[in-house]
Amino acid sequence: MADLSAQVQEPFDLVRLSLSERVFVKLKGERSLVGVLHAYDGHMNMIMSDVEETILLVEPEEEVNGAGTVQTVKRQLEMLFVRGDSVILVSPGAR
Amino acid sequence: MDSLIPFTTSGSLVDCVDKKVLIVLRDGRKLVGVLRSYDQFANLVLEDSYERIFHGLEYADVWKGVFVIRGENVVLLGEIDLDVEDEVPLVQVPLQHIMPLHNAENEVRKKNEIEKGKILMKHGFVKEGGEGDGY
Amino acid sequence: MLIFSVFKTLTDQVVTVELKNDLCITGTLKSVDQFLNIRLDKISVVDPERYPHMMAVKNCFIRGSVVRYVQIPATAVDTQLLEDATRREHASTHKR
Repeated sequence: MADLSAQVQEPFDLVRLSLSERVFVKLKGERSLVGVLHAYDGHMNMIMSDVEETILLVEPEEEVNGAGTVQTVKRQLEMLFVRGDSVILVSPGAR
Repeated sequence: MDSLIPFTTSGSLVDCVDKKVLIVLRDGRKLVGVLRSYDQFANLVLEDSYERIFHGLEYADVWKGVFVIRGENVVLLGEIDLDVEDEVPLVQVPLQHIMPLHNAENEVRKKNEIEKGKILMKHGFVKEGGEGDGY
Repeated sequence: MLIFSVFKTLTDQVVTVELKNDLCITGTLKSVDQFLNIRLDKISVVDPERYPHMMAVKNCFIRGSVVRYVQIPATAVDTQLLEDATRREHASTHKR
């Protein structure tokens, strides 16, 4: 762990070490991605492959005892560009 | 070299100039008109423009005239295919007919957004977007 | 500039652009600029009933700031090349 903190001096160093690794990305709009990171830039724009997207769907219309329904939907995408302004966090080591 | 880059995409808007285009704005409004000018920020000048109000497959037009649109409010600019335009199953109806339906639809959407926010709050989320993100 | 360069190599590929309002547009990537504004040709909209205003639109300009994702054909990119280019750009922008 000591050599990791030596390699990571600023946030993007951690992202660089995640290149070609599977990462977890949390996005705005109740979305998250797990996929292999191939490219990024200073805006946190990213290109990922073999992506599984998870969306939290909220349906206020289908009221169940006044609470609405919440369900998760998953989707597979082979190669994806993600715009950085949607990104909340990037976490390495998503298995 | 860098000074040439802004003209790559904006440059390709050249072929939309003097054409009938549809603009979608960030608040969800749709404008139809003739594109007369633009710049690298996607600021646009629209002439003979209408706001087009939709409800299902019906629409109504509201005359607007000349508009300068600030680029940051533009979601999308689409060139209208004049050959296809008359064949799509859209029907123009009087404004009085569509306005109540359109308003009701917006009200329902607004209410749902608020409800959604409340439900998400219970799950530890906060709704994204704020003013001007209604598109 | 890296991502801009990647998109330039993707011109004439068929991509699907997903906007932050959930609208998905599939079309041929015609051009892109440094703001990642996108020009698509021969477009089709996923779920056209929800977006009737798009029916007569044949090509469009999408402002980069409203894009959430762009789905790219996996065969169109060399992932090894991408990672090397990213490391190089990282090194050049994080000189110490």
